Amino acid sequence: MDKHEHFITAEKPDYASIDRSVIGIPLEKGFRRPWLFVFAVAFPLFIVLQISIFWLFVKGVGIWGIRIPVGWGFAIINFVWWIGIGHAGTFISAFLFLLHQPWRAAINRFAETMTLFAVMCAGMFPILHLGRPQRFYWMVPYPNTMGLWPQFRSPLMWDIFAVTTYFTVSLLFWYTGLLPDLASARDRAQTYWKKRIYGILSLGWRGAAVHWEKFNTLYLLLAGISTPLVVSVHTVVSFDFASSIVPGWHTTIFPPYFVAGAIYSGFAMVLTLMIPVRKIYHLESIITEAHLDVMAKVTLTTGLIVGYGYMMEMFIAWYSGNLYEHFLIKNVTTGPYGIMYWMLILCNVIAVQILWFPQVRRNPVILFILSIIFNIGMWLERFVIVVVSLHRDFMPSAWAMYYPTVWDWSTYLGTIGFFFVAILIFVRTLPMIASFEVKELLTHEHK
Amino acid sequence: MAQIFKPIDNTFFRGIIVGGLLLLIGWITTAIMHQWSSSQTGVGIPLAQPVPFSHEHHVEGLGIDCRFCHTSVEKSSFAGMPSTETCMKCHQEIWKDSPMLLPVRESYRTGKPIVWNRVHNLPDFVYFDHSIHVQKGIACQVCHGKVESMPLMRKENTLYMGWCMSCHEHPGHYVALHQNNQRQPPKTPTEMSYKPWDPNIDPKRVKEIRNCSACHR
Amino acid sequence: MAARYADKDQLVEAARLARSNGYTRMEAYSPFPVEELFEILGHKDRRLPWAVFFGGLTGCLAGFFMQFYANVFDDKLNIGGRPFNSWPAFIPITFELTVLFAAITGFVTLLSRCGLPEIYHPVFNIPTFDRASLDSFFLCIMADDPKFNIEEVSEFLKKTNAADMNRVEH
Repeated sequence: MDKHEHFITAEKPDYASIDRSVIGIPLEKGFRRPWLFVFAVAFPLFIVLQISIFWLFVKGVGIWGIRIPVGWGFAIINFVWWIGIGHAGTFISAFLFLLHQPWRAAINRFAETMTLFAVMCAGMFPILHLGRPQRFYWMVPYPNTMGLWPQFRSPLMWDIFAVTTYFTVSLLFWYTGLLPDLASARDRAQTYWKKRIYGILSLGWRGAAVHWEKFNTLYLLLAGISTPLVVSVHTVVSFDFASSIVPGWHTTIFPPYFVAGAIYSGFAMVLTLMIPVRKIYHLESIITEAHLDVMAKVTLTTGLIVGYGYMMEMFIAWYSGNLYEHFLIKNVTTGPYGIMYWMLILCNVIAVQILWFPQVRRNPVILFILSIIFNIGMWLERFVIVVVSLHRDFMPSAWAMYYPTVWDWSTYLGTIGFFFVAILIFVRTLPMIASFEVKELLTHEHK
Repeated sequence: MAQIFKPIDNTFFRGIIVGGLLLLIGWITTAIMHQWSSSQTGVGIPLAQPVPFSHEHHVEGLGIDCRFCHTSVEKSSFAGMPSTETCMKCHQEIWKDSPMLLPVRESYRTGKPIVWNRVHNLPDFVYFDHSIHVQKGIACQVCHGKVESMPLMRKENTLYMGWCMSCHEHPGHYVALHQNNQRQPPKTPTEMSYKPWDPNIDPKRVKEIRNCSACHR
Repeated sequence: MAARYADKDQLVEAARLARSNGYTRMEAYSPFPVEELFEILGHKDRRLPWAVFFGGLTGCLAGFFMQFYANVFDDKLNIGGRPFNSWPAFIPITFELTVLFAAITGFVTLLSRCGLPEIYHPVFNIPTFDRASLDSFFLCIMADDPKFNIEEVSEFLKKTNAADMNRVEH
C-alpha cells in the first residue's frame, strides 16, 4: 500500500502553497480572532500561576492541601501528568522517524514544541514543592561547603537527570529540525526586523547539500538516542513510585504502564491542540483526516496498554495475597475516592473503545472531545495513584483524607494557562509544521 | 535576494555566542567559589568588639591560659565566655581608669553583661560539643588558629560542614592518643606550641565519624 | 556560477553531468535533503557519527565514575551495610548522561562542521536565492574548481535546462 498517498490530500498542494500556509502564518500581520480568544482565556490563567507561585514562596507549602499522610499531592500529580504529555512529541519525532512513518512530518514540529512546553510546566513542580525552593540547586552535584554529594541512588535524583536530559535533547532536536524552516521564514519575510530575527535564528542555513548530509546524519542519530530516552524518562518517573514499598506503588507493571500512559496522554494532547489549529489556520490539506486516523489508532493502542496495566495492577495485587494490597483493591474501588477510580476507568478504558470505529477516528469534533476526556482520565489516574495509596496505607491510625486547596487548583490551572500561552506564541511566531519534511514527502509522492 | 547581514556580522554573532557561553561558565564558577570567599565565611576578618580585647597581649604577653577565661571548655558543649567579674579580677587594679576599659567597668557597675560580637557561631541545626573535642586531645589552635597571636579575634577556619568532615573522616590525624591501645593523657591543649600530630598513632585505628545524627540531633 | 532548477530531478541530472564533465568544486542548494546528491557531490561525513559516539561514551563514563567516586571513595555512606558500589542504582543517571552528552556533542559538531552560524554568505547575493528554501534547486560551480572557465561553465549550465543563471560575487 502506498502509504504516502493518503497523507497529502486530493488538492495536491505544491511547494508554494505549503509555504504559504505554513511559513505564512508567523509572517502575517496581526492576530486572528480565535487566537485572540484563546489568548484572552489563557493569559489570565498565566497570571494566576504567577500569583500562586508568589504566594507559595511567601507563605510556604502549607497553602497546599498536603498533610500527613498524603505528603505528595497535586505537585507530583501534575508533574507526572505534564511529563507524560510531553512524551508524545519525542515519540512522534524520534520513534516514528526510525519506523519510517511518513505521516509524522505534518505533526512532528507541533508535537515537539508541545513537549518542550509540557516539560517546562512539569519542571516547575519539583522546585515549587520544596520546603525551601531556593535550595533546589542542592540536587546538582557541585562543589559545596558541606562536602556532600547528592544521593545518586534515589529515583528523585534520577528524575533530575532524566528531565534535564529530556528537555535539553528535545530542545536540540527541535531546534535542529527548525533550522531549515527558519531559513524559509527568513527568505519569505518582508519586514526588516523579521528578516533579521529569522536570519539570526536560522544561523544562516542555506540548504547546501553538504549541510543536508550532516543534518540527516544528526537527525537520525538524535532520533536513535531519543527513542530510548523517551522510554527511560517516564520509566524513571515511574520509579518514584515503584521503588517504594507503599501498596499500590510497589509493582513492576509501573514502568511500561507509565510509558504507555504517557504516550497516550501525549497523543491526546496533540489531538486537542492540532484539531482546532488545523481548522483555524486552514491546514487540513497537510494535516489530513488520515493523520487524525493514525493518531487515533496510536491513542487506542496505548490506551489498551494502559487498560492492561489497570488489570495487571488489580490482578497482581490480588494474586500477591498481601493483606495491604488486598485492602488497596477494596479502597481504590469502593473507598472515599472510588468515584475518581471509576471515572478514570470510564475515560481511559471505556471511552477509548470508541476509537475502534473508523468514522470516529476521522471525525475531528468527536476526536477533539475524546482527547480532552482522555487527558482528564490520565490526570485522574495520577490522582488515584498518588492519593489513594498514600491516604490509607499500612497503619489505620494514620489514615486521613486529602483535600486539595484553592492554591493547588490555581497552580495547576495556572500551568495550563502558561502552556497555552506558550503554544499560542509559538503558533504565531514559528513555523508550526516541518514544511521541508512535507515538501520532501510531496516529492516522493510525485514519483 | 538581498543580503540581510554583512560579512562582519558572522564574526559578531559567533563572538556573542562564545562570549555568552564563557560568561555563563564564569558566572557559575564565581557563584560556586564565592561560597568560600571571606565575605561569606568571615575568615581572616577581625570583628570589632565593644572592648578591643587583645588575645595576643593577654595570652602571649601575659601567659594567661585559655581556660582561665573559657572555663567550661573541658566539661560542657559551650566553651564559656568570661563574665565581667573575670575581667575585673585584674582590671580593678590594673588600668583601672583606662577609657578603653570603661565598658567593662560600666558592665560591672550595672550588672549588664558586655555584648560581644560572636566570631565563631554555628547554625542552630548543628550540635557542637567542645568538651569531647578537648578531652580527645584536639588543641584549641587546631580549629581556632593561633589565637595567642591575634590582636583582635578573627576566624581562622570556615567552620563549614565540609571543613568539619575533613577531620571527622579521618580523625586519627588530629587525635593525640591511642598508642598500643592505651590512652595517653592529653597534653595540655592550651600549650602555645602544642603540636597535635603524634607520628606514633595509627590513624586507621581511629574510627571515622560519619553519622549524621552525631551533630544534627 | 549558479543555476536554478525548478525540479529536484533536473538538479540531480545536472549535478551528474557536471561530475562526469570533471567539475569537482560544486555545491547544491535545496529546500529539503536530496540523497542522490550526497554521493554525486562526494559528501560523506564520518566525523559526525564518531563525534556523537565519543560524546555519548564520555557521558557514560563521566556519569558512572562520578557516582562511583562519590559513593566508593568520597562520601561512603553506610546504608544498612549495602555495597558502596551499587552499580545497578547508578544505571539511570549513567544512561541519561550518555544521551545528554551525545546529543550536545552531535549538535555542536553539526554546527561546527557546517560552518554555522554563518549569517552572511556570498550565495545569498543571488537575487532568486530566497527560493532555495521554498521551491527551487540550485547548483553552484565554484570558481576555485580547476576546470573553471566562466564561459564554459555558463554554456554547460545552459545546456542543463536551468531556469535561470546567476553569477555569484564574493
